[in-house]
Amino acid sequence: MKTILEKGIIFHQGKFQELDKLVIEKGKIVELVLASAKAKKGKPLPAPKKKADTSANVINCSDRYILPGFIDAHTHISLEEEGVGWYDADFNESFGLATPQVRAFDALKMRDKAFNDALHGGVTTAMITPGSANPIGGQCCIVKMVGNVAEAAVVKESSGMKFAFGENPKRVYGEQKKFPSTRMGTAAVIREWLMKAQDYLKRKKTKEFKEREIKLEAMLPLIEGKIQARAHAHMADDIITAYRIAQEFNLDMVFDHCTEGHLIAKELGKWKARAVVGPTFSSRSKPELRNKTFETVEILMDEGCVVALTTDHPVMPIEGLSVAAALCVRHGLDEERAIKAITENPAIILGLDKRLGKLEVGYDADVVVWDGHPLDVRSKTEAVFVDGNRVI
Amino acid sequence: MSIIFNNVRIPMSGTFFPGQKVLVEKGKIASVGSMIRKNVEKVIECEQKYLIPGLIDAHSHLGLFESAVPVDDINEPYADITPHLRPLDGVKMRDRAMEDARRAGISTCMVCPGSERPISGICSILKTNGNSADVGLIVEQAGVLMSFGEQVKVTARKSERSYVTRMGISALIRETLMKAQDYYAAKQSKKMVKDREIDMEALIPLIKGEVAMRACAHRAEDIMAAIRIADEFKLKLVIEYGTEAHLLASILAEKKIPVVLGPTLIPRFRYELNEKTFESAKILMDAGVEVAFTCDYPGLPIETLRVAAAMAIQYGLEEKRALAAITEVPATILGVDARLGKIKKGMDGDLALFSGHPLDIRSHLEALVVDGDLFVFSKDLKIETGS
Repeated sequence: MKTILEKGIIFHQGKFQELDKLVIEKGKIVELVLASAKAKKGKPLPAPKKKADTSANVINCSDRYILPGFIDAHTHISLEEEGVGWYDADFNESFGLATPQVRAFDALKMRDKAFNDALHGGVTTAMITPGSANPIGGQCCIVKMVGNVAEAAVVKESSGMKFAFGENPKRVYGEQKKFPSTRMGTAAVIREWLMKAQDYLKRKKTKEFKEREIKLEAMLPLIEGKIQARAHAHMADDIITAYRIAQEFNLDMVFDHCTEGHLIAKELGKWKARAVVGPTFSSRSKPELRNKTFETVEILMDEGCVVALTTDHPVMPIEGLSVAAALCVRHGLDEERAIKAITENPAIILGLDKRLGKLEVGYDADVVVWDGHPLDVRSKTEAVFVDGNRVI
Repeated sequence: MSIIFNNVRIPMSGTFFPGQKVLVEKGKIASVGSMIRKNVEKVIECEQKYLIPGLIDAHSHLGLFESAVPVDDINEPYADITPHLRPLDGVKMRDRAMEDARRAGISTCMVCPGSERPISGICSILKTNGNSADVGLIVEQAGVLMSFGEQVKVTARKSERSYVTRMGISALIRETLMKAQDYYAAKQSKKMVKDREIDMEALIPLIKGEVAMRACAHRAEDIMAAIRIADEFKLKLVIEYGTEAHLLASILAEKKIPVVLGPTLIPRFRYELNEKTFESAKILMDAGVEVAFTCDYPGLPIETLRVAAAMAIQYGLEEKRALAAITEVPATILGVDARLGKIKKGMDGDLALFSGHPLDIRSHLEALVVDGDLFVFSKDLKIETGS
């Protein structure tokens, strides 16, 4: 069945515009008519066509804001189900320094309340990654916020390989009196496995190859450029170390957190870096967060980086994604780019810009109707569609 | 020994049919009907009592748990992957629970190692009449036990030696299956000059699809993890416990994955048991899933197998299907339906005689026959020695 959203203000082509109608069918956006385009034609739609639409579910969205579902490109939703307890958490595979073979997808819990919170916050898609305790933490996945089993929510089962730089691995292993307890050690572990993976790839092409090794099998898509490297890095120097390794091994790298990104904005701009910035709405709880600022996003965008915002849920609740964008606006970023940082940009970063992050014909019908401006924290979501199904 | 049960009710097309005779000879059911005439060693006058196939529990640790002893032979906590562990090597046939099982009308059990480690060993099918495990053995390699979820995580966390997340459990199991596939492929190619590896050898029947992956999982997510891995490696799959299986009824039905359901008569002492309900069996069966009840001995006492079926009736399940879930269906799930689970000519002579309806918990077991061996539990039972 068709769903038609009529009137309202739509975020389209990077700005707010008057909508005439948006038609959703079979999970996709099939038609989009702006009020301005209709005015140009000057002719109202002929009556018979309107009759043909009697089977459709028409929603009048006058004075409402219509946006693409937000995307959080870095979360840990449901790995540690909310309100259950530490003993059932699946956040970091702390046994094993390099665990490229573990997949966040295998630990999703679809009844986590956070999925519903996300929808209420207008978030319809999230990347879910293992934690940052291990230098190589495992595989990330991308899911929508619906479905009773992970298979029903999946966009990509394995979308990236998580690497962690800086304080976290150093602290976790240092406290256990194990290697690595320095930044040099962390980088060495990562290099060692990338090197092994490159050699494994060569060896696999020979006739003598017989026995697969699961860790190295998991690294192959990364080495072959089929999935991204996701580098957890806060401090400027850690970001640079990550980039150094990406260059050495020719990796397709996205920088996560990027807390001091603004200090090396020129470099990141030159690299045409993709950065998932945040969670900025948290405290400076460790030294590597000392230079945290809401201005990072604008500074990086001005240098030509593709920047998305993240809540890093559960560090900051997933519902706060639009709040993070609003705080950037308070610190000087323009509204349009703030919205892009939670729609188009994360879609580009996740490699899904052909189907997510915009309201355009042919895109997934992940559409959110807000009763006020989406960056006004008082506004709420009145209707949320995921793949064309109304979920709120 | 030859035994005849005279004037007995037996289950037939959904009801109990009175006035029947059942003849057991040489350990097998030789004849069923109302007109049998034969000289036998034991004639049991049953006076319209209820005779059913010997009960089957498709998941237990019978004999591995040692009654009244604080340490058991169920779990091997210091290793993650031990498919080469064989229950036969740990079963104690003279444990009291073996007698409890017989007194409860149970003639057959699947016995497996515990569900605290990702891959804990093979599953064996045993009868309860033997003096040694080898005598009672029906099938030794009847599956490989794997485990998912909280219990594995908690054990790993305690020992601080192993993967502690769901991600890690899935990865460990995948790694092992990947190795087993490659090991088997190398063996097939006949270029195998390497030494055998005892754990990989135990996995070959699984990789070949001859036996099932028996996956212990409570939560829907953990059941899905098992399904995902079974699909990836093209394995036969049976879900054990299945506390939340009813939430996935349509998926399990579509993929034809049976569930050995239980233990349900326990409190919700872990988060993964939160959705536990006695309605599960009916929901699953209505969707078309094969369901057998288990008491996961020593999770629950082995005598409670009938109680599990009766509780499901209380929550809406038909009697016929409840009875099948402790006789025919477990036989099918275990792959021994050609010889167990029904009162039919040619089947194993495994029969349980109850004083009243077998799913009325007040009824008591009067006699049990296992492979033609007669165990009598009622002094009032009229047994004549034939000529």
